Amino acid sequence: MSNHYIKVSAIGMLLIFFMNVSWGYTHNKYELLGYLLPDKSDESITVLDEYGHPIQQAKIYSQQNEEVGMTDQQGQVILASRLSGNQIIIKHPGYYPKIVKLGDLSVVTLTPQHLENRDTIDVLHDKRSKNELLGAVDIVYSKQLSTTPTPLYLNALTGRLAGFYTQEVNGFRSARSAAITSLDLAGSLPTSATKYSSNLSDNSEINFQLRGQNPVTIIDGVQREIYSIDPENIESISVAKDALSAILLGQRSSRGVLQITTKKGAIGPPRISFTAQTGFQQAVKTPEPLQAYQFAYLYNEALSNSGRQPVYSQEDFAAFKDGSNPIMFPNVNWYEAVLREKNPISKYNLGVNGGTKNARYALSLSYLKQDGMFNSSDEFDYETNLTQNRYLINSSIDVDVTTDFTIGLQFFGRIQDGRQPGSGTQNILNSLYTTPNNAYPIFNTDGSYGGSSVYRSNLYQQATGSGYLLDNTRDLLANLDFNYNFDKLLPGLYAKGKVNVSASSSSLIDRSRQQPVFDARYNEQGEIVYFRYGDITDQPNSFATTSTANFFYVQGALGYDKEIQGGHQVKTKVFLDRQTSNYQFDLPSIYTNFAASGSYAFQDKYFGELALNYSGFNRFQPKSRYGLFYAVGLGWELTKENFLKEQTDWLDGLKIRATYGKTGNTNEGGLGYYSWRASYGQDGNNGYEFGSEYAYINSIVEKGLANVDATWEKGNKFNLGLDISLWNSMFKLTAEYYHDTYSDLLQQRGSTIELIGIGYPAENIGKNSYQGQELTLTYQNHWGNFNYFLSANASRMRTEVLYMNEVFQKYDWNRRTGMPVGQTFGYQADGLIQNQLEAQDAPLLGGNIVHPGDVRLVDINGDGVINIYDQTAIGNTKPIIFYGATLGFNFYGFDFNILLQGVKNRTYQQTDYSFGSNGESQGFTYLLDRWTPETSATARYPRLTLGADPTNTPYLNNSSFWTRSGEYIRIRNIDIGYSLPFALTKKIGLSALRIFANAQNLFTITPYDRLDPEINGNTNYPLQRVINFGVNIKL
Amino acid sequence: MKNIHLLWLALATYILLQQSCKSDLEVEPLELQTLDQVFDTNDSAGVNANRFLANCYRYLPALGNRVGGDFLDAASDDGMSSNPTNTSVEQLATGTYTADSYQDNLWASWYTGIRIANIFIQNIDRVPLKGKLENGTPFNRVWKAEARFLRAMFYFELVKRHGGVPLLGDRVYQLNDNIELPRETFENCIDYIVSECDAIQDSLRIDPFFLPDFGRPTKAAALALKSRTLLYAASPLFNGENIAPENPLTGYTDYSTARWQAAELAAKAVMDLNQFALQDEFKNIFITRNTERIFSKQGGNNTSVENNNGPVGYASGINNGRTSPTQELVDAFGMINGLPISDANSGYNEDDPYANRDLRFYATIFYHGSNWLSRPVETVEGGADKPGGVKQQTKTGYYLRKFMGDFESASNYSNLNHDHILFRYAEILLNYAEARNERLAAPDLSVYQAIEKIRERAGLTPYQLKTGLTKNQMRELIHQERRKELAFEEHRFYDVRRWKTAEKEFNKELHAMVIYQTGAGLIRQETPVMQMNFEQKMYLAPIPFNEVIKNPQMDQNPQW
Repeated sequence: MSNHYIKVSAIGMLLIFFMNVSWGYTHNKYELLGYLLPDKSDESITVLDEYGHPIQQAKIYSQQNEEVGMTDQQGQVILASRLSGNQIIIKHPGYYPKIVKLGDLSVVTLTPQHLENRDTIDVLHDKRSKNELLGAVDIVYSKQLSTTPTPLYLNALTGRLAGFYTQEVNGFRSARSAAITSLDLAGSLPTSATKYSSNLSDNSEINFQLRGQNPVTIIDGVQREIYSIDPENIESISVAKDALSAILLGQRSSRGVLQITTKKGAIGPPRISFTAQTGFQQAVKTPEPLQAYQFAYLYNEALSNSGRQPVYSQEDFAAFKDGSNPIMFPNVNWYEAVLREKNPISKYNLGVNGGTKNARYALSLSYLKQDGMFNSSDEFDYETNLTQNRYLINSSIDVDVTTDFTIGLQFFGRIQDGRQPGSGTQNILNSLYTTPNNAYPIFNTDGSYGGSSVYRSNLYQQATGSGYLLDNTRDLLANLDFNYNFDKLLPGLYAKGKVNVSASSSSLIDRSRQQPVFDARYNEQGEIVYFRYGDITDQPNSFATTSTANFFYVQGALGYDKEIQGGHQVKTKVFLDRQTSNYQFDLPSIYTNFAASGSYAFQDKYFGELALNYSGFNRFQPKSRYGLFYAVGLGWELTKENFLKEQTDWLDGLKIRATYGKTGNTNEGGLGYYSWRASYGQDGNNGYEFGSEYAYINSIVEKGLANVDATWEKGNKFNLGLDISLWNSMFKLTAEYYHDTYSDLLQQRGSTIELIGIGYPAENIGKNSYQGQELTLTYQNHWGNFNYFLSANASRMRTEVLYMNEVFQKYDWNRRTGMPVGQTFGYQADGLIQNQLEAQDAPLLGGNIVHPGDVRLVDINGDGVINIYDQTAIGNTKPIIFYGATLGFNFYGFDFNILLQGVKNRTYQQTDYSFGSNGESQGFTYLLDRWTPETSATARYPRLTLGADPTNTPYLNNSSFWTRSGEYIRIRNIDIGYSLPFALTKKIGLSALRIFANAQNLFTITPYDRLDPEINGNTNYPLQRVINFGVNIKL
Repeated sequence: MKNIHLLWLALATYILLQQSCKSDLEVEPLELQTLDQVFDTNDSAGVNANRFLANCYRYLPALGNRVGGDFLDAASDDGMSSNPTNTSVEQLATGTYTADSYQDNLWASWYTGIRIANIFIQNIDRVPLKGKLENGTPFNRVWKAEARFLRAMFYFELVKRHGGVPLLGDRVYQLNDNIELPRETFENCIDYIVSECDAIQDSLRIDPFFLPDFGRPTKAAALALKSRTLLYAASPLFNGENIAPENPLTGYTDYSTARWQAAELAAKAVMDLNQFALQDEFKNIFITRNTERIFSKQGGNNTSVENNNGPVGYASGINNGRTSPTQELVDAFGMINGLPISDANSGYNEDDPYANRDLRFYATIFYHGSNWLSRPVETVEGGADKPGGVKQQTKTGYYLRKFMGDFESASNYSNLNHDHILFRYAEILLNYAEARNERLAAPDLSVYQAIEKIRERAGLTPYQLKTGLTKNQMRELIHQERRKELAFEEHRFYDVRRWKTAEKEFNKELHAMVIYQTGAGLIRQETPVMQMNFEQKMYLAPIPFNEVIKNPQMDQNPQW
């Protein structure tokens, strides 16, 4: 209820705010326009941007392509009367050229290009002009991001950045619902399986990698794992993939950078943009359960194949099929009973941006509401469906205190309120996947929830009648930036500083409710009697903190830029920063960097850069906390050379650049928590009870072997890049080649001999290489006012394990060394065993007798048995290729773009298995393809058995029988919009009005299409297709 | 002016950096204690040291539903798992395991226990413990002896499974130490365990029934471990019938009667303590603290055995009927008059097979018609406890009764003592009888007496054995007595191995009693339900595959 109130009032406030400002500014606007609107008889036109603000220095060309004028400060240009009635072309960087007939219009609005192209780029803690850039940096801007109707901006990056690989593994945010305990201490779990508990990422939906590494996410200059931000609040997202671009991260520089820059104020009258959009989401794929009679039939078959008696009779089949007795013979499609088909998502965003010369401001407010896919029941007056409500505020002010001194203040706040059914989203998804159609009826005749001795909770009740859980997450970031310019003291000398405090906390309110289920049975008199399972409980109202964290970041830099006569340009900088993170109970983790860099450029032709970073992390052993990391870069702009001077009419740029660096990665997850210290402590609640009264003594355990030599992982990263720009930047191409070698990777040694009596820690052992090629090209052109563009990228990455302390392997095919990193190993399968003769001859796995219809495993070493020696690399071993292409056009107010995205050379292992590991789970329609003597030729699934079968079960023994192609090509995103003509919008007091529709995950082609190629695992929240409509107005 | 700005900025930066340098928190985490804090030189009560030792106790072997949810005995000819899936015990019984998939592989667990014991043994002397036992033994010595006892237990568990294993002595290995150790010979391992038992027996506590220290080993426990160790060492599998006759890792390379004698004396030493006596009521041994219990792993007051194994018809979910004893075990129980059912004079009636049986039968097995929770158990086809369908239920028509409380006429379970009894006096008597019978040419009076004590307590009338039994007859009788007395206490699985009769006993087909209710009464039908499979190599469990692969010094057991 309170949530609803918050929601309504927040939307109300947004609207009031929006109306106020629109009211306030429309006045100005009319004055402005009144002043500008020229008289019809003049040969003058005014050029405006999408906010109705004048564009200066827009160039006007005649039909013959000669420059005939340029707009002034008011965006106005007076043109020679001879042009009257002729077509002219208006051009301005960043906007589509526009052809108009002089005299038809006195005011022309230009439309910004979909693919932005800027001269300066955000690099880590700095800005760089594009021609000085030596590293591999890719960037996307707000326009491309905001076509993606999802809560996470990560969804919008898929397929848009070369080298950036994503896999969507979950279709909805999952909230942490476990209360914070001392077990959340990073050090409380000593084994190598320990996951470093500091991960406060709000992203549980997308796995992403940058050239195979997990990049460091930097939001406005500060590392924070925040991924749920409205793309409309974001100015740009860049990825820095090479050593030089990331070297300021020091001990984390191997990982690369994912840098998010939110919108900042810019000089000018207020630019107000409001977007309202709403759409619906739909599961792209849900499993198809067997009908109850099919289930019963196949279950019988599995029973008899497993040497057991069938449990269903012919009458049972009939009863399941005709549905005449739905209480005793239920046939419930739980997916239909529990899930809703279409689920709304809506989003509102208001952005205000402007400023004077001395002070600039930007403000954005955003609200998102996303509903999950569970049904809720009319029985209760409260909502139980999965939802998230997200409120964002981001504001920044930059003030020039003096001509030398600027201060920037930024404040970011986020509230995420989630709800899920009381029994928990994941529990429902698990039950959905395991409950057969014939398990129990939803309701018994008396209205009670159905159930049985095996199914002690009712799935429908779990989804709709189990109360709810509320989770609340609060994030705050406050940034203070200083810039001091010492030009008066020494021209080119400057100092910069940044202080950031940020905090995050989340909590959970549990108002779940349990209800008993009743199993209907006939008694001896033939009457229905009900057996109760479970208890009635009230809704509790418990509260728990589920995580807390706070961060402190400080940065200072002193730099000196100097241009020396003769085209020499020198830039030097010393830089230091420190990041302190406090997660839950842990002692803070502190990164400190002392860095210096210098760059030199000669006539924009030759470039050189060198950076050093003496960087430390406080969780290493004292005296070995700091290490030196460095990177160098070289660049050569060939078009500036005399021998290419002649070609400048078509060749704008041709640049070769290279970087090399020695980088580091602390790999906190592998390192553990102060793992160099031998430590002892309580082991959760494990103890021993002495004496007749069982007096409990909580035990102290040795917390893992101390790894006294633990150090950071090393990277040797080389990048070679080529930038080509042709025909006035109409066509641009960037190619990259990289070869990164990572050594001292924290891994458990292969020779973990158990005689030592304790688990082995991760040690600096492994060595992997990653090499690949990336290609990005863009092409933009127009036929008249039909502007079209293409932006495509493709990446290919080959990985190899160079060293991993592998134990002695008897055969070459057993060896992991030399294979791709993370290669799946298992048995090779050669179809299904077709007859008894083949079964008798088949080599056996662990002595398990095989039958016709079982998977035929290949005895590679020919010793007559299937064992560990027959395991070999299965699935894809080729370099992975992933690509994306955005195509689009803009034509008289219509705009359209489409993103195609795909992956090649990828496989995954199917893990679902007939009736589940315990032999009681739901069956799905793919089981109809099982092997039977009659269908032996066409069967695509082994004979049915109950429970885990060593030969056939995917998760017991991986075999290539279960290897599926994970290749796909998707229409990832489509966006189509129409902007009303300015003449029309100005009448209603708006600068621009665009209505649009977009869609995510519209269509997929994949070879094995029963499962989604990205989400494998049927108990994950399914990938969603989103179809979205909205309107954007600008003032 | 300019300079002041610069100074100001530098100062501000400096202060900020200084601030973040200073921490309100400790530099290294205090909750992660060091060894010096665990074995504190100022802690005369040894609180932390005791907590560390408590951890070592956790690694004591457990009994009950522990192998994938089943009794280890369900992998012998005494029972099977009721679970319909391919359970661990079924795989053990049918021999479907390999060196990298041995279902009862606890190798790592035992060596973890050994490491903990070694750390304790190495460091406990730093702790100035104040107390001493009544006989004057200071607690430092007592606790150290306890750790050594636990370590000897762990080694015995290893040796009984695998034969000779690496012995680590008192050393605690660190990450950079060479841990590629070879296996010691079987003989050395036995000698080590025995010498440890000898060395600590006088340092341990004395009174096994001192309630506040219940669960701590006493002298008797050390002697009982020695007795079992020497009995195993003297048994045919290791003594004379080594599966690889020349291989000192898998057993002795020769035969010696002296080993039987050592086993006999070790058992006698426990008897001579005069601390123990057989409990009058067989059922009560397992649910009370009594004079028969020598040493247990602490279990607690609960209903776990009842819940796991109770017949499924009683409030299902609370009774999971996990264990199905076999017809073979049922047939092994004789009649109340002491005669086996095969004896013509036994009075066994095939139409009323459960009448007048050895009382231990009623205490061990639920059959169709036995009483439980105020109603008769129904294991007829379609009966409440064997309803058919997909649910877990008995495969043999029997359920396990042993270890449960007297809930025959109760309406529900209440919490009961369910400690894991690792040594009890009856075993010592059986050890003694077996060893002495093997040593002598023919059994003498003391062999008879030991067995008759067991039979007397079992309630057999007459309990006396026929006189003039040959050594072989007596051996057969002792083996049978062991089976009945110690069923489901993790003896059968290893006894049959050490007797080297597993190729016969564990290749049998196991049977169920299928009972049909007809108008004319019950029809009973003995039906085969499982074919066991045993090969020679299975006498010893394989050394875990990875340990052999990773350690070039480690020899695998024969044929694995």
